[in-house]
Amino acid sequence: MRKILILLATSSALTAAIGLPAWSALQAPTDANSQSFAAFFEDAAQTLPLILASNDDGHSFFKNSRRHHDHDDDDDHDDSDDDNDDCDGGCRGGAPNPAPAGTVAPPQNGLFGSGAAPKVQVN
Amino acid sequence: MKSLLATLVVTTALTFPGAAMARPVTLSTTLNNYGGDGAYLALYVTDTSGAYVGSLWMAGTKSKYYEHLTDWYRATGGDTGQINGITGASLGAGRTLEITLDLADTLFDAGYTLHIDAAVEDMRDSPNEVSVPLTTTGAGTPVKGRRYIASFTYDM
Repeated sequence: MRKILILLATSSALTAAIGLPAWSALQAPTDANSQSFAAFFEDAAQTLPLILASNDDGHSFFKNSRRHHDHDDDDDHDDSDDDNDDCDGGCRGGAPNPAPAGTVAPPQNGLFGSGAAPKVQVN
Repeated sequence: MKSLLATLVVTTALTFPGAAMARPVTLSTTLNNYGGDGAYLALYVTDTSGAYVGSLWMAGTKSKYYEHLTDWYRATGGDTGQINGITGASLGAGRTLEITLDLADTLFDAGYTLHIDAAVEDMRDSPNEVSVPLTTTGAGTPVKGRRYIASFTYDM
């Protein structure tokens, strides 16, 4: 009789341990305060530190940028892609892009004799 | 008739000094074939004490990369107000940029120095790539840069 009780208790505990998280994962929380067992596991996973296998500590133009610019392979800059994809109205924590030549007069820094627009040619 | 002549003399006298105080100067920069993307270039002037006076040109339109033009950035704090109206596209490897500016006569033979900082994506930054005194005798003389610039000249 005692053995049967132990077996029943063990199987109930196993069922609860396996079944409860699975059942909980299928249930959507009814309010913001309730949280499923699955959510506990997710939270634990999110708190794990991200460990990088390697880092690029070179002296590159973008990768070592102090402003942590998100750079990808499509974000190169040559003389043909100076698009206005950002910073037009002012970057977060940075300066806005300057006005291109010809759109405003050169700055009055004493170097320019007049407000004539520069003439530019690329060969 | 006499009053017309007098008016012409006065207007000429007023106009001539202004015209004589500035002259068109062409700055030519040719890059090496360094095998990278377009270069950002900052052309600026310092005085006899090495203090920043002002910028002449910025090749490269995105302010977020200006920090890589390290000497220029240090001098200006990245203030894009310094380069409004004198900014153009970055310059590709092996290409030549010719800029003609109306520059004050007082810039020449007065101890001013023209500097160029350069930076290229995924390559080394090159502050003070070119440093050349602005003199009338130095006009037309090519100067070689340290890393990316094959030659730089200014012609008057």
